[in-house]
Amino acid sequence: MQGAIEVSDLTKTFGDIVAIDGASFTVKNREIYGLIGPNGAGKTTTLRILSTLLKPSSGTARIFGNDVVKDPEEVREIISYLPEEAGAYQNLSGYEYLGFMAGFYAENKKSANEMLKEAEVISGLGERLDDRVKGYSKGMKRRLLLARALMMKPKLLILDEPTSSLDVVHAFHVRQMIKEYADKKGVTVLLSSHNMLEVEYLCHSVALINEGKVIAEGSPDELTKKFSAENLEQVFMEVAKLG
Amino acid sequence: MSLVVKEIKELIRDPKILIGVILMPIIIFPVMGSAINISTTSVQRAMITASFAIYNEDEGATTDALLGYLYTNNTVITIEANGIQDALTKYQETNASTLLWIKEGYSENVSQGLRGELKVYANLKSLSIAEAGSTDAIGSLLNYYGYFLSIANINSLLEQAGALGEANVVRSPLSVDYQSIIKGNVIDVAPSQIVSVIMSQSVMLPIMVMVMLMFAIQMAATSIAIEKEQKTLETLMTLPVSRLTILSGKLAGSIVVAVAGAIAYMIGFGYYMTSAFSFAPELTTMSTQDLSIGLEPLGTLLLGVNIFVTLVSGLALAISLATFTDNVRSAQSLTGFLTIPIMLPAIILMFSDLSMLPKTIQMVLLVIPYTHSIIASKAAFLGNYALVLRSIGYISVFTLVVLYIAARIFSTERIITARFTTFDIKKLLGRRSTRKR
Repeated sequence: MQGAIEVSDLTKTFGDIVAIDGASFTVKNREIYGLIGPNGAGKTTTLRILSTLLKPSSGTARIFGNDVVKDPEEVREIISYLPEEAGAYQNLSGYEYLGFMAGFYAENKKSANEMLKEAEVISGLGERLDDRVKGYSKGMKRRLLLARALMMKPKLLILDEPTSSLDVVHAFHVRQMIKEYADKKGVTVLLSSHNMLEVEYLCHSVALINEGKVIAEGSPDELTKKFSAENLEQVFMEVAKLG
Repeated sequence: MSLVVKEIKELIRDPKILIGVILMPIIIFPVMGSAINISTTSVQRAMITASFAIYNEDEGATTDALLGYLYTNNTVITIEANGIQDALTKYQETNASTLLWIKEGYSENVSQGLRGELKVYANLKSLSIAEAGSTDAIGSLLNYYGYFLSIANINSLLEQAGALGEANVVRSPLSVDYQSIIKGNVIDVAPSQIVSVIMSQSVMLPIMVMVMLMFAIQMAATSIAIEKEQKTLETLMTLPVSRLTILSGKLAGSIVVAVAGAIAYMIGFGYYMTSAFSFAPELTTMSTQDLSIGLEPLGTLLLGVNIFVTLVSGLALAISLATFTDNVRSAQSLTGFLTIPIMLPAIILMFSDLSMLPKTIQMVLLVIPYTHSIIASKAAFLGNYALVLRSIGYISVFTLVVLYIAARIFSTERIITARFTTFDIKKLLGRRSTRKR
């Protein structure tokens, strides 16, 4: 069976800096897959390549059979990417922002309205959606952006550190929504995080990345058993030492 | 289309842009105009209400006639004194702006056909333009009086000699009528007047083009930098829409706002011209249309095309430059360098014509595309359409090249990383060590 994401021997260099060093992993359809590793491990670069923002120096990456370098337009049709520090247009209202984004995916006004209704539920922002984004808190902004990313029900949702710097309440809401969309709506999710406990809770499978290399891959359970660890954090520390 | 609408909303709702680009020109120019108007009216009022003092040492019918003329309709302070020194001291105690000293023997001189001697002292207290105007008041009164005195004298001389003729003709024997020929048509207007109208036109046009371009460039640079600063660009680039569409959306949105800014500027500037120069109606009543050097429909169209391609080139240039920065401030300072190639031709061509300049400076100016925008604007007014087309052609080629570069930058990952500059510097420094991350 074809995987949702097939990354093979991926390398990316910026001048003399090697950001990804021959990484390979496969994500199954309808699965939540986590890339975990410390800052600077190459997680964001990998997500950017899969989102067609960057081109790999070598190796291949396919999303539902579409090569990210050869068919970027097709890839963009089926993915939704939420960068770590993403923002929304400050001078638009929440509704206007969502409406603007829906315009790129909706075939007609009816489907655009459906997306907006969906986004209303996902964001849980209620009447605040009428206010300009300028006045939103960090948590509200993240919920708006997650709603933007999910409302069109992409085949693949790519999330870079979805809950970093959010408080408990907002982080909980965001995690709930990700889980719900993956379980009930069949969205495949690829997320990166350095919060191992979050990954353990959310992901069906994970890849541990360090210095641009995938150093271990499997389900959180398999990995903890394999390395006789209590949690993924301990697994990572163990594997990083070996690497 | 939604990209354009979003772009316009974002730009117009940004208070910096709304105030700077649209409200400022509408407010600042009328305020400036009113300020100039207030000061010029006060100069006029000062001239009309100027009071002056007279110290008279002479007696006689001619002196009485002069005094009678001056006392009518004017505020005159009569100084009684022993000698001019005393008169000056007393005059300085009054509010009068000038003192007229009628010297002893004035009457006698005038009646004997000699020049009547007068002396005017002006007390300059504030050294303002209004003060200079009020000291002029006595001068014009005396000139006027002198003219009629000479006409009366000539008439009496003509009578004594029994000669035929008019005093006016004797005083000014030549009648010269100046006419101008423009585009083969003889017009009943003096060339000096036409030159002054064209001058005002040729000053206006470069300023207009320059200001509009600066608006556009600032706006486009800001719109890209805002996307980067607010971290919205990355998301935008992963949407199922071509990079070229994103670029065109940005350009179109900036053009709409820049044109709105240009219109605001024109309204403001128009009001400024009428309010600032309302005291000089002859300057504003003569338009280029009256002189048949106005814009014909084809000229208007070409002028529009010229301004449009100029705008697009500026915008594309600004966008290309702004992609190398990551915040609004650095984008604006980087595009600030563009002020030089825009201001230079505008300022030089405001005061001179290209053909009057040394060859090397001509060459330098001709390389700068914005020189052609100004040349084309002027040529459109003079009906030299071949020159307009040539200029539009040059700017268009330049615009296409810049657009191509902008599109290239947009379709590569440089728009996200903008990293190659540091990379190039590192290469130059020869740092070859491999760092991993």
